[in-house]
Amino acid sequence: MTGTKNILNANVSRRAALQGGAGVLAGALAPGGLILSARAADNPALGTYPEGSSGPSVFVGISVPRTGTYAAAGEDLIKGYQLAIEHLNDGSELMQKISPNIKKGVLGKEVKYGIADSEAKPNTAVQNFGKFVSDNKAIMVTGSVSSAEAVANNKTADREKVIYLPGISGSNDTTGKDCARYSFRECFYGQTAAKALAPQLISTIGKNKKVAYLTPDYTYGHTVQKSMEEYLKDGGWTTATDQVSPLGTTDFSSYLLNVANSGADVVVNINFGRDAVLSVKQAKQFGILEKMTLAVPYNTPFLAKEVGADTMQGVLAATDYWWTLEEKFPLAKMFNDAFRAKYKSVPEWSANLAYMQIAMWADAIERAKSFYPPDVIKAYEAGAKVQSTVGEVYFRGADHQLVRPVVIERGKKPADMKGPDDYYEIVEVVPGAGLMQAPDAFGCKMGGYT
Amino acid sequence: MLSWPNFLAQTFNGLVLGALLALLSSGLTIIYGTLGVLNLAHGAMFMVGGYAGVVAYQYTGSYLVAVAAGAGFVLLLGIAMEQIVIRHFYDRPDEDQILVTFGLGIVYVEVVRFLFGSLSQSMPPPSWAAGITSLGFMIYPTYRLAVVGIVALALLVLYLVLYRSRLGMIVRAGIEDSVMVDSLGINIMRVFMVVFGIGSMAAGFAGIVNVPIAPITPDIGESILVEAFVVVVIGGVGSFPGAILGGLIAGEILSLTSMIDPSYSQVMLFAVMTLVLMLRPHGLLGSQGRA
Amino acid sequence: MAPSLRGFRALAPETSIVLVLLVAPFALPYIGLVPDTMNRILVFGLFGIGFDLLFGYAGMLSFGQSAFFGTGGFVAAYLLTQAGLTSVMLGLLVGTIAAAFAGYLVGLIALRRTGIYFAMITVAIAEVFFFMENSPLSSFTGGENGLPGVPAPTFNLGFMTIHPTGGWSMYGFLAICYVVGIVVARRIVASPVGRVWVAIRENPLRAAAVGHNVHAYKLLAFVIAAAYAGFAGGLLGVMQGYMPPDAFTFDTSGQVIMMTVIGGLATLFGPLVGAAVWLYLHDFLQAGLGLGASWRLVLGLVFVLLVTFLRRGILGGVADLYARLRRGVAAPDLAPVPGARDMAPESSALAPQPTRPIPTYDGPILVARGLSKRFGGLLANDSIDFEVQQGELRGVIGPNGAGKTTFFKMLTCEIPPSSGSILFEGRDITGRGVTEVCQAGLTKSYQVNQLFNRLTARQNVLIAALAERRGSFRLDLLRDPAGIPGLIELVEHTLGLVELTSRADVSVSDLAYGEKRRLEIGLALATSPALLLLDEPLAGMSPRERAETVKLLKSIGRGRTTIIIDHDMDALFELVGRVTVLQEGKILVEGAPDEIKASAIVQEAYLGGVLVP
Repeated sequence: MTGTKNILNANVSRRAALQGGAGVLAGALAPGGLILSARAADNPALGTYPEGSSGPSVFVGISVPRTGTYAAAGEDLIKGYQLAIEHLNDGSELMQKISPNIKKGVLGKEVKYGIADSEAKPNTAVQNFGKFVSDNKAIMVTGSVSSAEAVANNKTADREKVIYLPGISGSNDTTGKDCARYSFRECFYGQTAAKALAPQLISTIGKNKKVAYLTPDYTYGHTVQKSMEEYLKDGGWTTATDQVSPLGTTDFSSYLLNVANSGADVVVNINFGRDAVLSVKQAKQFGILEKMTLAVPYNTPFLAKEVGADTMQGVLAATDYWWTLEEKFPLAKMFNDAFRAKYKSVPEWSANLAYMQIAMWADAIERAKSFYPPDVIKAYEAGAKVQSTVGEVYFRGADHQLVRPVVIERGKKPADMKGPDDYYEIVEVVPGAGLMQAPDAFGCKMGGYT
Repeated sequence: MLSWPNFLAQTFNGLVLGALLALLSSGLTIIYGTLGVLNLAHGAMFMVGGYAGVVAYQYTGSYLVAVAAGAGFVLLLGIAMEQIVIRHFYDRPDEDQILVTFGLGIVYVEVVRFLFGSLSQSMPPPSWAAGITSLGFMIYPTYRLAVVGIVALALLVLYLVLYRSRLGMIVRAGIEDSVMVDSLGINIMRVFMVVFGIGSMAAGFAGIVNVPIAPITPDIGESILVEAFVVVVIGGVGSFPGAILGGLIAGEILSLTSMIDPSYSQVMLFAVMTLVLMLRPHGLLGSQGRA
Repeated sequence: MAPSLRGFRALAPETSIVLVLLVAPFALPYIGLVPDTMNRILVFGLFGIGFDLLFGYAGMLSFGQSAFFGTGGFVAAYLLTQAGLTSVMLGLLVGTIAAAFAGYLVGLIALRRTGIYFAMITVAIAEVFFFMENSPLSSFTGGENGLPGVPAPTFNLGFMTIHPTGGWSMYGFLAICYVVGIVVARRIVASPVGRVWVAIRENPLRAAAVGHNVHAYKLLAFVIAAAYAGFAGGLLGVMQGYMPPDAFTFDTSGQVIMMTVIGGLATLFGPLVGAAVWLYLHDFLQAGLGLGASWRLVLGLVFVLLVTFLRRGILGGVADLYARLRRGVAAPDLAPVPGARDMAPESSALAPQPTRPIPTYDGPILVARGLSKRFGGLLANDSIDFEVQQGELRGVIGPNGAGKTTFFKMLTCEIPPSSGSILFEGRDITGRGVTEVCQAGLTKSYQVNQLFNRLTARQNVLIAALAERRGSFRLDLLRDPAGIPGLIELVEHTLGLVELTSRADVSVSDLAYGEKRRLEIGLALATSPALLLLDEPLAGMSPRERAETVKLLKSIGRGRTTIIIDHDMDALFELVGRVTVLQEGKILVEGAPDEIKASAIVQEAYLGGVLVP
């Protein structure tokens, strides 16, 4: 680890401290053997290993926003996690179909979990992470909607030596310059969204068009905007304006007026969560949707439901998963059925992503045959293929990004809807391999395993 | 994005932004001017008005009932707040008043969050103001136009009360010198209660009127409170015309700066406020009355 | 033996906190407090010390402390993560200095106004800082991501290395930082600067009038509060290994305010208690009872209740309860005044030498030429020419509305004249400002008592004496007031002069009216004025009090020049050697008391007609 003798061990548990009589000074002088749990055969103690997995169950920490702009997506993530963990503990068929390695629980242990509200704030996310690790000895922490949370958790994961699986995180940086050895991302992101959507826009609308952007003012927004701009350039498209709004804006009138007067043919709305709902609703009010086509490179869960089919018709969006894919993919059907049975509603892509993250994690542990974090990480990095609800997927070792397809969908006319949730028609499922950037294109430099 | 049509559009939009701010700030300024109380719960009351109105709407489906409910509920809340809490703070240092209204603001927000959760609530505009209007140089949501009219009406009523009624005369005298008014034998305590109620009601009214434009959540009061204070400082504390002027100026600053760089809009507002404070400490239309 | 603060009893708070911090890791986990929470409590406790100094002691309510918390934190984090600095302590130090400097700049702008405007400017500036962190400077600050990877400190002691990384080891490091912060803060509060801050909080007008440079002290308070905030911010980053942008939000400013008020203002330990309550309830209500977000509701209610009923917060309430239980003893003063209680009370005989230089000039001590003051359309003083010789006892009388008080206010430079000049001891002091003029040796006592109401008589005089001994501003933050030469003697001597020695440790609010008037004069006396102005010293007194005060005035008139305004002409004529009569803003006539008594012009001015004998 480090060259100097690490006298004060960070992972002194409360119980150990009390039992060992360790107080401030005592802790300073005692040798590093304050961890009292038994050690596994070869592997040294690392993070919450082996404490977190020495009993009959293991603990997973779920940290998502339950309040604020991204709360709706957060709740959907929770549903996905809960369904997945339930299936995992029961040894359900769907899990087996995703990967035959998955059995009941992980390596025979039941999975327990806890949920904390991250408020979409990185500081709160870090606090939750810390609590899951110190209080519950979590062996894995998962969840995020904002990339800021995800990035903060990435760093914390590397520091705490506990695996972290982001939830929603659209910024290129999460597996780019802010990548982490202990973190693995399932969902699509700016680069893949743009590379999948841009050609579709060019072929649908034409070449040499003008585009206006509505960008939320943080990393996710800016990286997606840059990616879109880059790929639209291939069709000769130019940027008429980039309206950058702060997170949590409720009144987009100034930005929309600028967009309306920009002479653009297409408006690309990168806002996410409630910002997306409001900006789209208000765009309709300001008559922008009559003049321009709306494109949403990173679709917000429940956007169509909240703004209504009338507004969403003709809108081109890129997403991670849409429930009507069940017509194409049998695993999607199984997933939707289980979700509908439990929750009486259709899942959005956040629930799907949560489910897949749990499944792939279980698969990695089974392949590693161990809970020792570096073993699990190496199992992930081996890039074994698993079956997902959108076909075959695998992790890329260099940046820990799942190589997976991007779904392009178009809003249906209300008359064409076959049911109350039938908002989109699937235009194309673009295979992932062609969408990925070069592994070091976004500056990913991984840390060590220990 | 500096083009002539855009400039016109933004100027017009600034008017709409400013109108609501003007109404909200006028309530704040007459409370501070008369009672000397800085009501840091004013933003929360804006939010409470919105929620009260939305609840009324969910029961009755009527926009008018919703507006009346929103304004009326906050009027009562303001009176209750003044009678139960604020009244005991008139003799205490200014900082104590600021702290207690700050605390009450947080309590209101959290009560609403407890009752309604954090997801937003909305209400559609009334049928007579729904849809889009073409104004020649731009298209504009009809309801926002209606808001200008509604707010103007409310401000007119407020003006009539303040400048054409006996109560208003007493209030304006109280803004200048409440001790004197008291010495003249007028029940200043009753005046304070009425002013606090009316000022709060203005916030509640603004709150419910704003809901069809932007759905409410428990937290919207916070940022609008800061903007209202900026308006009060720019316009002059205790000055009703100052609040209107300040509101319009603030609305224009917010929308016009968005043409150059939207992220700096709020900062520009603060910069203008600081400038006004340095050059004209009593605001543009304020007077020596209250510091 | 010089009186000293360093008695064991005086150090009780410091020793108690060390004991509490030593015991906490063993006791508190039983009620569910984990090391991470304890560490946060310590960080906020430290942040709050600065805020308590600013608001609890100096009376300045700032809603923008997050600006400095964030600045210190991000400067330290940036140096340690991006700029390659390896010494964590050095990073923290630079962060603290950066925050203090930011506090200085912000203070220059914000302190130009007071009260609500001051609060508004602090809010605005905090928002601007947040915006800067988020957008323009995001390449340095990581924007909304913050700065991860902040290292923990390493202490190489030669025979072993200490590297606190988290949990209890970090607690030890933070606890030590907190104790250092408390010890320094306690020193500051007991120092002359701390006293002046309290005076500024109680009565800024009088604090300036007795010779303190109020603006400089306020700026100092602001800078110190910013330094504490910056240090705490840096520690937050080190503690978490991550510097969050939330450090800059308005919420954070509000949080430290609420924590301090809940724990107890002007106690220094209040923020620690408040933070403990806040964070404990956060954990307990959210995780324990599963109430989710309603913990903030509970805290909001607690806050409102405390502000309304228990203004001094939890610690203050405990202190008051303790005092009540000990029946009648005043609530313990966390910073006792050095003074006669620690010393033999006999040295009040001779006053110490005043600190201003012996003047060398010829002619009258005071010359006013053509002094006028216009208030809008009203000409309160009209071209007044006025001279007083050294050692004179002069009276100024005139009917109501003659402009006497306005005249005095111009002489002490409380208000600037519309035209004319004032020469004091041969130097032009026109428009110099009340503080400078007081330091030069010209001071007044007020018609309506301007005292520091929540302090004792001795503490009141001490404030004035501190200005006399130290000048208008001195950066003696860590000094023990007892160590200032001549200070105690000056205080005791002044108390003796106004005959308040036996009532010296009574709070002003408990003094009788006559005693308050004497204290009022005492404050002016303690500034060792060469020229003393007394504005209606006999106002509102009973005949017996008046007689006593006249005796007092006679005795203090010795050895200095005095001008007295009053309406009680019998008393005045007995006292003074010469009388000036003002009417309608102009000097009517000047002369010996007998002449004035008999003057027909004066009678007409007062009565509107001459009394026919």
